[in-house]
Amino acid sequence: MVLFTIAVLASPQPKKVVDQNGQPVLHASIWVDGKLHLPIEEDGTVRSSETKGTVVKIVALGFETMQLSWEEWQKREKIVLQEKSGILDEVVVAATRTDRTVESLPLPVTVLNSEKIQQTGGLRLSDVLQEQTGLQIVSQHGTGLQMQGLDSDYILILLDGEPLIGRTAGTFDLNRLSISNIERIEILRGPSSAIYGSEAMAGVINIITKSFGRENQLDVGLRHRSFNTWNPTGNLNLGSKKWNTSLFYDYFETGGFDLRPETIGQTQNPYQAHTAQVKVSGNLSEKWQSSLFVRAYQENSTGEMQSSGNEILDMNNSRSDLNINPTLRFKPSQKFLISLRGMSSWFSTNSVTRFQSDQSFFDIQNFDQFYHRTEVQTDFQATPTHLITLGLGQLIETVDATRYEDKNRFDAGYFFLQHQWDPKPKVNLVTGLRGDLHSQYGGRLSPKIAGQYKFSENFSWQASIGAGFKAPDFRQILLNFNNASSGYYVFGSNLAEEGIRRLENEGLIARVLIAPENLGELKAESSWAINSGLRWKIGSKILVQGNLFRNQITNLIETAPIAQLKSGQNAFSYFNIRSVVTQGLEMDFNYAWNNHLSFSIGYSFLDSRDLDVLERIASGELFQRNSQNQTVRVTRADYGGLFNRSRHSGNVKINYHHPKTGIDLALRGIYRGEFGFADLNGNLILDDKREYAPGWMSLNINLTKTFSNGIQLELGGTNLLNIETPAQPNNPGRMLFTGIQLPLMNFIKN
Amino acid sequence: MKTNLKSIFYLLIFFGAFACDTTDDAQPRVELEAILVADLAAPNDVIDRNTGEVEKVNPFQYFSLEQNAIVSETDDWDLAFKGTTIRTNSSKNVKAAIVSGIFEEINQVPTSATFATDSESTFAIPTGSGNGWYNYNSATFTVTPIPGRVILVKTTGGNYSKIEILSYYKGNPPADQIDPRATPSGHYTFRYVLQTDGSKNF
Repeated sequence: MVLFTIAVLASPQPKKVVDQNGQPVLHASIWVDGKLHLPIEEDGTVRSSETKGTVVKIVALGFETMQLSWEEWQKREKIVLQEKSGILDEVVVAATRTDRTVESLPLPVTVLNSEKIQQTGGLRLSDVLQEQTGLQIVSQHGTGLQMQGLDSDYILILLDGEPLIGRTAGTFDLNRLSISNIERIEILRGPSSAIYGSEAMAGVINIITKSFGRENQLDVGLRHRSFNTWNPTGNLNLGSKKWNTSLFYDYFETGGFDLRPETIGQTQNPYQAHTAQVKVSGNLSEKWQSSLFVRAYQENSTGEMQSSGNEILDMNNSRSDLNINPTLRFKPSQKFLISLRGMSSWFSTNSVTRFQSDQSFFDIQNFDQFYHRTEVQTDFQATPTHLITLGLGQLIETVDATRYEDKNRFDAGYFFLQHQWDPKPKVNLVTGLRGDLHSQYGGRLSPKIAGQYKFSENFSWQASIGAGFKAPDFRQILLNFNNASSGYYVFGSNLAEEGIRRLENEGLIARVLIAPENLGELKAESSWAINSGLRWKIGSKILVQGNLFRNQITNLIETAPIAQLKSGQNAFSYFNIRSVVTQGLEMDFNYAWNNHLSFSIGYSFLDSRDLDVLERIASGELFQRNSQNQTVRVTRADYGGLFNRSRHSGNVKINYHHPKTGIDLALRGIYRGEFGFADLNGNLILDDKREYAPGWMSLNINLTKTFSNGIQLELGGTNLLNIETPAQPNNPGRMLFTGIQLPLMNFIKN
Repeated sequence: MKTNLKSIFYLLIFFGAFACDTTDDAQPRVELEAILVADLAAPNDVIDRNTGEVEKVNPFQYFSLEQNAIVSETDDWDLAFKGTTIRTNSSKNVKAAIVSGIFEEINQVPTSATFATDSESTFAIPTGSGNGWYNYNSATFTVTPIPGRVILVKTTGGNYSKIEILSYYKGNPPADQIDPRATPSGHYTFRYVLQTDGSKNF
């Protein structure tokens, strides 16, 4: 621990405002008799020029407010603020793009701090998120997230507030993100297109990386898991009065696993991944602050597979990611904050498949995506109860890939406007509107309004209504794909007309199902959603949080055949064809027995349905085969909604700190209820008992011990009951782990 | 060649006097027999999936609904099976239409049914997943007859027939027991009713 010496200077006596660790709390404000007092200097010093007063109040976000009499204030040299404990005091940036506590937000948000992240014993982001109420991890072209019943395609992933790019068939693979340098994760549910635009339809995950302030720090760690998984990490922070630089490196290696050893190729291929990150921030002057964030990711995997022609193929896949985000902040006065942010990202994948027999090429695929965004955001604190935010931005996106013709480029511009208003102490309102103008899908306005009413200190109710959208992606617009072995074609909507004409000229088309000139423009998928919830503190020990939601989504994009080929195969393109509804309830119940023991229960109910399927059931057009192999009409009661959604899911968590040994125990049971995994009876909908995968419980445990010199050891396991889930191939079975963290700087200093 | 054909069960269909078709109201209906054809083996060509080249050409299996038997190409066949493709005998003016409904409930040829003949490039029973009689599920790699799809055929003898395909896999296994890698495909199990009096009623 670093101890600060207290400077004793001539009167008036200067004081330091620090936290329990002795770190200066620079954002604290000091009120003498209701009047805002002097600012805090960079090392936490306050020089009092007031010579008299009666009451002094010290207020800081995230800390308990402290009130002192004038005499006490005069006497003290150090003011130690107590950190607020509890879920509701965490700060959230994702919801409004300004700092706000969970408690003051009229929106359903969850914050996972580093302690909670650590308790999961996870190494990749998916390990942490799968333990959260209402979130599911699903395997679909990678390890994707499902939120409020919506797939990964509709969830925006932010790293320090900037979007991450690079999706495979819509899925953002959460295994690309190491969690070893994550400070906290903000989970915002419900559409947030009103500030983020496309993709933020189901919600937003914002990952905040660690910041160390002025402390010099050097940490190394090593974690080991079953399946030959190794994860060494290193972190170096160099701080000075004005500048702070942190370097981070993480290497991840796994042998993968195989759930079906009888077939050639593993379920998860072995891979190696490097993550490197540089964060530099500094104060240029009192009013100007700048920072630069650079992150690079490189992953290589190798594996075998069997072609449908029974040849064995060798696969070599690589993925890489580069993000460069410079930021400039200007605070001309207490009322204004202007931020200029640039963000450039490159994402590329390369996969080479060869015949094992002679190493000749079977297939080569490349994908290169570039995304650049420049954004300026102005926050204007008009009065203490009105905070107005205006954002303006421009973005460029290009993609160059084997399956696309040429290099393609999208351009867009946008604005967002947000008003945060507390008309009364008991009422918080957030209103937002965003406009997007896109070269591909035109203009779009996304409004949202959210309000909270605090019935008392302990009970508040929130409600919000908002619009979400997801723009058609490159694949849906520009794909030009021909599956050589089975002979079908897929055309993006822009290329469909040209593609069909070409096939016609080649004499391949038997019948055109939809005339290409009638295809129409592909529109953005769009939604309206309502969220309504409560936060209820019962005494000092119990906290209940709940949220009801309903998402109504139209214009969902899917492929459908546009022409039949003479070969019997089809040519497909993309259409706005589906409308779905997802609705449900998420509840979390926390109980702190005492300082050492706490537990929580989470429950999520989810109901999802395809409206077109309901219509076809109502008109008697959908049939199924019953167990006697007779054809009968599908009834509403048979219909189980969308595939891969659990109607019921939940978790039970127990945390215990053993005072004598200092060991922390985190025991969790994560339940995923039965879910439809595939159509078996030929009508393509979920309507048969055999189409469900059974529910299962993953029992996870983690033990950590932190020694007084800062060394931390951990030991634990996930899926201890070793339950196999063939319908959920991202579960490898029982996994045991151990790890060590060494804060080297502590030893150097000593 | 050993015949795969078995006729197993009889299905009785009664029509009350309140049937909507008014033309034959006065006469009692003839009980028609549903014929089950099990495991008609018609495997597809063997194709090298890596190159797309056909390694071994398999023959179509020609079937006569009138005779309930596999016949030769030169005989009066109605349908020819190979892989998921079902041809109709256009040289003998065999026509087919696809309708939706429950097999037993289709008691006459609906006026909305549009009959077509095979041409050089098109099939009266459309091929491709979701178009004709089957769905191909790319998640489970299985071909499943679409429940509620009934094929109507006007045979070489000018009679109408309704057909329901029950399985594409050998032994007509329950859907959840099909292993696309192990269960032999291209084995049709179907049932049909043939109206021999030339009327459109079943």
